[in-house]
Amino acid sequence: MFMKRQLPIAIAATIGFLTLFGWFVDEPHIKSFVDDDATQWFDILASFAMFLGALNLLKMQAIKVIRKQKGWPYAALAILGFTFSFTAGFILLGSYNVEISQYDDPAKVATVLASEINLDEKSAENILIAMPEGDTYIIDTPYFTKSGADNVVEQINAAGGTANMRATEWGSHISTRGSLFNWMFRFIFTPLSATMFALLAFFVASASYRAFKIRNFEATLLLISGIIIMLGRVPIGGHISAWFILYIVVLALSAGVNTWFKNRTYTLASVVGGVLLVTIAGFIMGWPVDQPAIFYLPVLQDWIYNNPNVAGARAIMIGIGLGIFATSIRYILGIEKSYIGE
Amino acid sequence: MEKFLDFIVRAGSLDRRYIFIVIALVVILPLFFPLGLPIRPTSSSQDVYNTVEKLEAGDKALVSFEYGPSTKPEIHPMAVALLRHLFQKDVKVYITCLWPDGQFMAMEALEQVADNQYNKVYGEDYVLLGYRPGAEAIIKGLVSNIRKVYTVDSRGDFLDDIPMMVDVNQVADFDFLFSASAGYPGTVEWVQYAADPVGITMSTGTTSIQVNEVMPYVQSGQIQGILGGMPGAAEYESLIGQAGIGTSGMDAQSVAHLVIVGFIIFGNISFFVERRRSKKY
Amino acid sequence: MNGSEIFGAWVAVFLTLGIFSYLYKDNPFYKIAEHVFVGVSAGYWMTMAFWTQVQPNLFGRLWPIPEGEISGFLMKAWYGIYNIFGFVLPSVFPDGGIDKGHGHDPHFLYLLPFALGIMMLLSVSSKLSWLARLGIAYTVGMAAGLRAYAFLNSNVLGQIKGSAVSFVDMPWFSLTGVSVFNNLIILVGTITGLLYFYFSKEHSGHFGKVTRVGIYFLMISFGASFGFAVMGRISLLIGRFTDLITYGTSTYSYASIWVLLIMIVLLVVWTIKGEKKTVS
Repeated sequence: MFMKRQLPIAIAATIGFLTLFGWFVDEPHIKSFVDDDATQWFDILASFAMFLGALNLLKMQAIKVIRKQKGWPYAALAILGFTFSFTAGFILLGSYNVEISQYDDPAKVATVLASEINLDEKSAENILIAMPEGDTYIIDTPYFTKSGADNVVEQINAAGGTANMRATEWGSHISTRGSLFNWMFRFIFTPLSATMFALLAFFVASASYRAFKIRNFEATLLLISGIIIMLGRVPIGGHISAWFILYIVVLALSAGVNTWFKNRTYTLASVVGGVLLVTIAGFIMGWPVDQPAIFYLPVLQDWIYNNPNVAGARAIMIGIGLGIFATSIRYILGIEKSYIGE
Repeated sequence: MEKFLDFIVRAGSLDRRYIFIVIALVVILPLFFPLGLPIRPTSSSQDVYNTVEKLEAGDKALVSFEYGPSTKPEIHPMAVALLRHLFQKDVKVYITCLWPDGQFMAMEALEQVADNQYNKVYGEDYVLLGYRPGAEAIIKGLVSNIRKVYTVDSRGDFLDDIPMMVDVNQVADFDFLFSASAGYPGTVEWVQYAADPVGITMSTGTTSIQVNEVMPYVQSGQIQGILGGMPGAAEYESLIGQAGIGTSGMDAQSVAHLVIVGFIIFGNISFFVERRRSKKY
Repeated sequence: MNGSEIFGAWVAVFLTLGIFSYLYKDNPFYKIAEHVFVGVSAGYWMTMAFWTQVQPNLFGRLWPIPEGEISGFLMKAWYGIYNIFGFVLPSVFPDGGIDKGHGHDPHFLYLLPFALGIMMLLSVSSKLSWLARLGIAYTVGMAAGLRAYAFLNSNVLGQIKGSAVSFVDMPWFSLTGVSVFNNLIILVGTITGLLYFYFSKEHSGHFGKVTRVGIYFLMISFGASFGFAVMGRISLLIGRFTDLITYGTSTYSYASIWVLLIMIVLLVVWTIKGEKKTVS
């Protein structure tokens, strides 16, 4: 019972106190533990959590396949996808480099090199000649198979050069361009994750059309603020004349007059009066696109972005900050026990 | 008139697939037929530009890449534009990555700008320290001692063998910090664990969605300016006078925004007409 | 352009258009792409976590390359275990030890996170799942301690400091720069917005009016967030279409065009078959 309940709470409290006071305590051992080891352990455990997630996923998909539940072929595909990325990560390196350290006759070696780097023989020869003394030239694109790389090494050696094969180190292969893992990252993982995000653009547009309705004043504020930001922050906003916005303001105010007074004469008067006023002002000022500045979308957008928007965002940020502080203290003091399922 | 109002009400419940087609066309067509709309920098992008302009040749800039391929269209253009600006001014660039994908992005950007455009020398003009996992731990480590976090750079060379790493031991030794960030860990962590405690001048570029989260730091002066998404990247490109991917996407962005605003307005007109009719009956 | 790149482009186009096909309706292409994504990303993140964290920072500290000959029974036994692991997984445990710059002496203290990590993995089994609580408790405590200070300092104190501005030597109103009016707007908006989240008192009377103002500022902020969200999503869509256009050129054998055409034909056939089934 102690192990299941009190020990986890004691661990959370001890580590929490240590980390929190590590900010204020100048003792080198505590500081070293808090700054280096403690945070490193955190990352190691986060990695194990990642493994756990993957294991759980496999377990669920495997159950689907074994019991032949609905959609089991797709579950098999998910397991296949996992197997492929696991293979690329741990089993099949797919990244073998060919290094050329010497040559007797650059022209002969260039005939082999040219076809490997997709250049003409003269350019390949120039690359070899430009190689500083004692340096090695590594062919840019690694070879997928060890035998592929060995084959090229043999050809270069036969042409009078000295080449050898060097496998990319395990660990570096995840960031080496040309490895199988990198291929998977570029052509499978990246398109899928980017497209999943990009798909939301369509749903945002659809939601804007079908669900974004002005039902009350707050919704109106949200909508107007959103529209001003959307138009003001892109180049097209700079081409919408401030006078166009002024006319819209006149119409909106007239709609307000209509709602308030419910009198057609007043409404008509406000529309006609407003439009006349704006037109006369426009003629006097010569219809400049960016004046009056307060109705010019980029300027208006900037003001909203830097002032009322910041106020709201700041209120939320302070609120979140206080909330996180309070919740963190609750975890450290052992009041909050949700992480052990209570 | 009644028929017209009927049409408006019916159009209000249009099958969403027609909306999808319109959005797809509105984004694709400007990519093929650019409009060439001029770009007007906002104050927040101008602030970033001005901050970098104040740097002098030989100053040290720490640039952190924390984005991946899913947010590359928004942040990569601004990272490339920033590198161009820094290399133009002969500022020494030190690159760190808090996201593993960030290292790929940094390598691509450096190949394009440092190697192919400005012919900068690795180890003397720029260094890619590389990715280290640990988020806040890495930032805290860099604040206290860089060599605790990085023994070697991304190429496996020891830091002490790299000429530009001489006398660079902690974040305070840098003159400027820039975080190109798409989420966690990113701008917020750099502010909390580096910029605020150390007081280093910091600017940032984030995805559009993250802008509001970071704005209060910008307004309070904890961060000097912010580049917001692809429009922010395009604005920075126009400020440095070198158009890039950000600029080429702006026409599509403009038209798409206009169409979405049109959708919102039309949807509300339909809503009002429908509401008026239901009140009548 | 080599063969693997062109093949990769075709795979990328197929998966991209597969995801986009969801816009028509949920269909086999989408399900294939979705399930491949689920499997591949689980493997990807697991691989990244292992090679960037566990292997260099955990195993690299437990079994660094020793300096000179290994002496002592304990050390010989310890590296004997390493050699057994190395026999099973030579890629993870190379000969001699793991050199990741952590010195030459094993950090035995790191057996603790290793043990906690293994216990976490055991939660796959329902009987032993309680063991995971210890690892989780560690991460919770650690995160709480780090964040309590950081958020209080930067998000609360830093923001309060930013809100406290001087009204001396400032114009009354300015659209583009600092001004008394602008700073007042930010101050009033921040305070009223914060008061809106105070739910220990009923929002009525004068307090209700103040919180009403607060919600207006919050709505403006949410509207701006919506605008930025739209902006961000459209930017990502532009990015995807740019890639599809690149992959539709002759360099990649017109991958986008061919895959799109084939997919449309197959989806039409699938739709017609589905409708026939419904009718019958």
